[in-house]
Parts: sequence; C-alpha cells; structure tokens
Amino acid sequence: MLIIFQILFILFALFTVFGVWKRKRDGQISARAAWFWSLFWAAAIVAVLWPESTTLLANQLGIGRGADLIIYISIAVIFYLLFRLHIKIEMINREVTKVVRKEALEDNRNS
Amino acid sequence: MFIAIIPAYNEEKNIGSVIRNLLNLVDRVVVVDDGSLDQTAAAARAAGATVLGHKLNRGQGAAIETGHEYARIVGADFVIHFDGDGQFCVDDVGPALAALRESGADMLFGSRFLGNKSRLPFFKKHILLPLARSFQNFFVGVKLTDAHNGFRILTARALAKIRLVQDRMAHATEIVEAVKAHRLKYIEFPVRVVYRKYGQGFSEGMLVLRDLLLGKFIKK
Repeated sequence: MLIIFQILFILFALFTVFGVWKRKRDGQISARAAWFWSLFWAAAIVAVLWPESTTLLANQLGIGRGADLIIYISIAVIFYLLFRLHIKIEMINREVTKVVRKEALEDNRNS
Repeated sequence: MFIAIIPAYNEEKNIGSVIRNLLNLVDRVVVVDDGSLDQTAAAARAAGATVLGHKLNRGQGAAIETGHEYARIVGADFVIHFDGDGQFCVDDVGPALAALRESGADMLFGSRFLGNKSRLPFFKKHILLPLARSFQNFFVGVKLTDAHNGFRILTARALAKIRLVQDRMAHATEIVEAVKAHRLKYIEFPVRVVYRKYGQGFSEGMLVLRDLLLGKFIKK
C-alpha cells in the first residue's frame, strides 16, 4: 500500500515532468535537457516506490543505506550548482558594469 | 596631460573642496559618480570637474576603470587615483609625481607606513593591514609596505597594461597582480592619510578574499 508521502512525491514528480515538456515545447530548454530531467524524475519515482533499490546500489559503492547515498550525491550536486550560480552571477555583474561604463563615457561625449 | 580620477559615492560634502585643491596641481579632475543618491555629480561639476556618471552603483574598482578608460581615450600621460572624502593630502601629489618622473618607473604606490606620516587606527595599523600585506606579499609576490592604499599614480604605459575587472574592493590587489604580470616597474612613496571614517574593516577584507577567489574562475 502506498503511503501518503509516496503519493504526494509521485504527483509532484509527474507535475514537474509535465512542466519540463511544456518548457521544451515553448523552446526554453533543449530536447536533451528535457530527457535528462524526465529520466531524473523517473529514477526518483523508482527510488520512492522501491526504497530498497537504492540500497542495492549503495552497497555496491560500500555505503550502508540507500538514503545515505542519495543524501551524499544530492549535497555534492547542490554545492556544485551553488558554485556555478556564484560564477554566473559574477559574470553577469561584470557585463552590467561594462554597459554602465559605456553609457557613462558616451553621455560625457555627447554633453 | 595629468588627470586625477576620483571614484565617488555619496560624497557631496567634501568632494567640492577636494576637486578645487586638486585643480591647482593636475590638468583635469575626473569624478566617476558611482550611482550616488545625493548631489555628488552636481557638486563635482560646480567645482570644475569632468563628471562621468554610473547609472547604477558598481563599486570602487568599476568606477576607477571607467576613469581609466576615459584617460586612455583622451591620451593622459599620468593618472592619479584620489579619494573623494578628503582623506588624502593634496600636498603629497606634486612630490609624488616628481618622484615617479625621476625614477622612470611605470607606477607609484602611496604608502601609509613609509615615513610615518599617517596616524592609523590601532587595529588597522597593527593587525588588519599587516595581515592584508602578508597575504599580498605571499600570494601575489610583490613586496609593498602598504596594501590597499588608494593613492596611486599610473603612467600611460601602466594605464595601457592594467585593465581592471574587479568591480568592488579587490581591484587594489588586482592592480598589484597586474604590475607583477606585466613586469611593470613601481616605486613606493610615503603619503599622509587622515582618517575621517574607519573605512574597510575585517569583514570587508573577507569580501575582498571572496572576490579574488571567485575571479580566478572567471575568464577575463
């Protein structure tokens, strides 16, 4: 029997996958990205429906529990994404500065 | 041509007198108004400065680089960085320029430690600045008696080589790195700094380290 968490999680995952393909249709993301996220959420559904399946994989890597493996991977991925975001923001900052500088110099030339 | 660059953010109170004093010593004073919320730009114009206005606040490094770009366009021979709130002493400008000319170096760094002319807050003098200096000497490999002193004079050659991309306070280290990378010759010169405000403390120092680290991962 499904527990409430499993039902809610599956609904959320399906909702998200639906959103992914909607974005794909609107041209906001590539087909590759759409497939990646679809597979990601499919794997998440498998892991939620059959939690033991992640333990099998974890044991292969020498980790006792499947839930631990997922937390380790998640934290690594989140840190990496944070790092990328930081860099991205700094790059955008520098682009903004270039625009502001150009405008300041042009305003001076025209006045 | 000798140009003074003043990066300014909300400096309407003191900037007028700083500009008037400088105009006796340099050919042109360029104030980069970094998105000030007060009447800095108007006060600077009234005092006879050329004003370049950032529509958004981008930081001191960004403002200095805007001044540099202006100086490159008009073909300046020498550029001096000066502070808008009156913490530097205009009497140091003439002797510093003379010393730079005589030395034949590409750039001059002002120093608060040479000649004991400045009275610094205790924590700054004995802890914060020595820390910043050790960091700079160790990681950048340029031996300076002072770190992050805003008083600098650049020749046209230095101006052509040094392009700042650090928008905030890390530009001070970036300049030293550029001097090393381009093998520019530099001298140090004792200057007086009068503390009106405390300026940057320890947490700002941490932000500088963050910016420097982040900068290592970004292509110029």
